Amino acid sequence: MNASDLPSSVRRLLGSLVDASVRERIAISVAALFASLLVGAVVIMAAGLVATCKEPFLALGGSSFCYDPWEVYYQLFVSPFLNDFNTALMLKETTLLLFTGLAVAVAFRAGLFNIGAQGQLVFGALGSALAVLWGAAFVPTGVVGSLVLIPFGLVVGAVVGGLYGAVPGLLKAYADANEVITTIMLNFVATNVAFYLVSTYFKDPASQSVETKSVPAVAQLKPVLGRFESTSFSVWALLTGLALVVVIYYLLFHTSFGYDMRISGIQPAAAAYGGVDAERLVVGSMVLSGALSGLAGAVYVLMVLGRWRTGIPAVGFDGITVSILASNNPLGVVPAAFLFGILKSGSLSISFALGVPKQLVGVLRGLIILFVAMPEFFRMVGLKLGVGDRQPVATDGGRPVEGGDDDE
Amino acid sequence: MNEPVVELDGITKRFGDVVANDRVELTVDRGSVHVLLGENGAGKTTLMNVLYGLYEPNEGEIRIDGTPREFDSPRDAIDAGIGMIHQHFMLVDPMTVADNVVLGNEPRSRLGFTVDREAAREAVTDLTARYGFDVEPDAVVEDLSVGVQQRVEILKALYRGADILILDEPTAVLTPQEVEELFDIFDELTDQGKTIIFITHKLGEALGVADAITVLRDGETVGTVDTSTTSKRELAELMVGREVLLDVEKPPSSPGDVGLEVSDLTVTDDRGVDQVSSLDFQIREGEVFGIAGVDGNGQSELVEAITGLDVPDEGRVYFDGADVTTDSRRDRIEQGMAYIPEDRQHRGLVMDFELLQNGLLGSQHDPDFAPGGRIDWATLRQHVEDIIADYDVRPPNPDATAKSLSGGNQQKLVAGREFERDPRVVVASHPTRGLDVGSVEFVQEKLVELRNEGKAVLLVSSKLDEVQQLSDRLGVMYEGAFTDVVDPDDVTEEQLGLLMAGQDADGVTSVPAGDFEAEAEVGR
Ligand SMILES: Nc1ncnc2c1ncn2[C@@H]1O[C@H](COP(=O)(O)OP(=O)(O)OP(=O)(O)O)[C@@H](O)[C@H]1O
Ligand SMILES: [Mg+2]
Repeated sequence: MNASDLPSSVRRLLGSLVDASVRERIAISVAALFASLLVGAVVIMAAGLVATCKEPFLALGGSSFCYDPWEVYYQLFVSPFLNDFNTALMLKETTLLLFTGLAVAVAFRAGLFNIGAQGQLVFGALGSALAVLWGAAFVPTGVVGSLVLIPFGLVVGAVVGGLYGAVPGLLKAYADANEVITTIMLNFVATNVAFYLVSTYFKDPASQSVETKSVPAVAQLKPVLGRFESTSFSVWALLTGLALVVVIYYLLFHTSFGYDMRISGIQPAAAAYGGVDAERLVVGSMVLSGALSGLAGAVYVLMVLGRWRTGIPAVGFDGITVSILASNNPLGVVPAAFLFGILKSGSLSISFALGVPKQLVGVLRGLIILFVAMPEFFRMVGLKLGVGDRQPVATDGGRPVEGGDDDE
Repeated sequence: MNEPVVELDGITKRFGDVVANDRVELTVDRGSVHVLLGENGAGKTTLMNVLYGLYEPNEGEIRIDGTPREFDSPRDAIDAGIGMIHQHFMLVDPMTVADNVVLGNEPRSRLGFTVDREAAREAVTDLTARYGFDVEPDAVVEDLSVGVQQRVEILKALYRGADILILDEPTAVLTPQEVEELFDIFDELTDQGKTIIFITHKLGEALGVADAITVLRDGETVGTVDTSTTSKRELAELMVGREVLLDVEKPPSSPGDVGLEVSDLTVTDDRGVDQVSSLDFQIREGEVFGIAGVDGNGQSELVEAITGLDVPDEGRVYFDGADVTTDSRRDRIEQGMAYIPEDRQHRGLVMDFELLQNGLLGSQHDPDFAPGGRIDWATLRQHVEDIIADYDVRPPNPDATAKSLSGGNQQKLVAGREFERDPRVVVASHPTRGLDVGSVEFVQEKLVELRNEGKAVLLVSSKLDEVQQLSDRLGVMYEGAFTDVVDPDDVTEEQLGLLMAGQDADGVTSVPAGDFEAEAEVGR
């Protein structure tokens, strides 16, 4: 499709999105958030009108409204900060999504769409659980044990995730297999193979479900702050995630390797000209992305469950949305993951505190994410189509730049 | 016939702080050929994009046939009878000429569900007959030469009802022969009442075909001159504001050892056809070896095999006697190869990056700029600022994106980056394409300077005067091989034309393509 075929109003709109500065883009996201709340309020009222309940919060003439939007939003956005349990839940989700959001963002920057974060996470989690269970025999208990076992578990998780990420990387680099397809398939493979391995070889005999034995207490990431005692959130994990945000940001924007990744993602022909070995870069980026996903898996095991258990939540898939929300910028991953954390914890509170059906809460969450992600999404579309004043118009000298095409 | 068909009145177009067009005035008469001249970044392309509805002007008025018009998009401009031929052709390669011409406005069969191909063919045949175009409607676009593809673009604009044709540097990619043919087409078109506006940097062309020439400088109109009353020198001065040397001085060469050698090189394409077949030549240090030829005779493939973007199917490439045939592109950069690619927007620059980061392309693993793999921004910035100053890149802002630069300024940045690599071997593919006269002079002088410093220089260019002036030896390429290697001072344009068409030219003295090993040995 050609930009000049679009109606001028659409072109102008896309154009202004493309040309928006970072500050403007943040403002747009915030505005979108409020717009989504307004639309959500209408949905809540409408749902409340249709539903029947004993005590409607509002009765107008013959119709009654069951759900109070104000109440719903209060639970959704404020309750995560009100008690330790809710806060821990919020931060736990945020922490995990920092890792997977970064994983997807890193691959995106290199022009790779890693839908396989989930599979890499599942294997990373399993690797980490098994390694720690094995290693526990050799280390003393106490602080020393924690200092050895936890980093060991994290590293093994990253290595396993990285190796599993290498598979679609190698397939793309040397067999020209599209990474979107292969990573989707490898997600199924990971889930099923892990299930098989655990149920046949590593199952905890004392348990009914398909899960490994619990890792020893020394290897678990404990909540260090008193407030979060008895919750499954560790500040250490959050800090590790935040530190990684900085590391990945630095890597992408201040190192030679990051430069290679970015030019490969944005203009492969120029990358080849600049001496980037496309094959090696694809593999390297996928390994890095997989390692970050695997790390998420390790954190999940060591912080949340204390073991590997089938039915790992879709943190890897949510990482894709987080990355898009962050427009694939590592720094943007922080607020995006935080928003997801709030929504996760808040929707649970709604279900507890109010009689609002789960499905409605799901719709609200979806609405918010959709609205916030929409401007970024259309910005990407605009960039692809080449609209906007600051875009080149392919009139003189050479071909226009087509970001995605690789002529290797 | 002095009836103005296009009037641009007080057009101002700003991009942020940059004023690309500053109250520009332009009046074009019906049935005339009007040339826009100006330095790189003078605002020619921007002005034409405004006229074609791609940009909205901040101020000013567009009048077509005396009626004020506002164009929201190229659609509106097309409806007003304006057609623009971009330098990058927007053709669908695997489709036929007829299909491409009608694309987007296809004649429909009676029920309207399918394209009426017969009608399309007929319409295109009518057009070619009417304007005397030598284009076969059933030919597949990808098999056509650049010149013919350009004609297809013109046909497309005519099919959409264009009365006014805008061409942005149409001759930059053409051979002299093709340029002649294009100008014949211009004649035919203007005879039939069409109006042509085109941009060029070649003064000779402007003087040859234009009825009137408008010169822009720094976004402003300097003036419009009548072709019959002006000269190259005057035009150059109007453009640049100073006198320009139209000839580059070149001292006699004192070549040394062989710096670059290509031996028995064969490159085949996807279809297994030889693009370069068993080519042999050597370039000595301190020597410019030029390659002339019609585009598409294997020059690009040869250059890619030498620079490491492609692996040849047979044969070897040597730098200073060392076999580099299978070395990666990065290895070759590190061994001191500078390379100006023919396609700056696709290869040579990352368009979304600022000039600063573009200055790093190819040097991102060089310890001078990225010690220990960490980019040293301060050093890089200094380096890029130096390039910007030395090569007169405008606007001189290292934080501007590459895509915001005019075509010529992009080229200057690429040339600067590559020349300042301190290379041993320089491969320059169309190094002055899109440059204004002043910058051409500068880049050509730089090339000669590099040669004088003892670098081996390979120069590929479709500008005959350029290869003739700069080369010490000149290989003429046809269908992947040299028809001859000649002394450029001892050959006429006509003879070169014949050689480029694959024919023998009487009376040219051949010079050896290589085999200097023995000689260099003795010289030591
Ligand atoms: N999209 C843009 N954003 C910012 N600046 C721009 C943009 N397009 C053009 N400019 C600036 O406007 C000025 C005029 O550019 P333009 O492309 O019209 O020059 P030109 O006369 O066509 O030059 P050339 O001969 O090099 O093609 C330049 O300084 C250029 O940097
Ligand atoms: Mg231009």
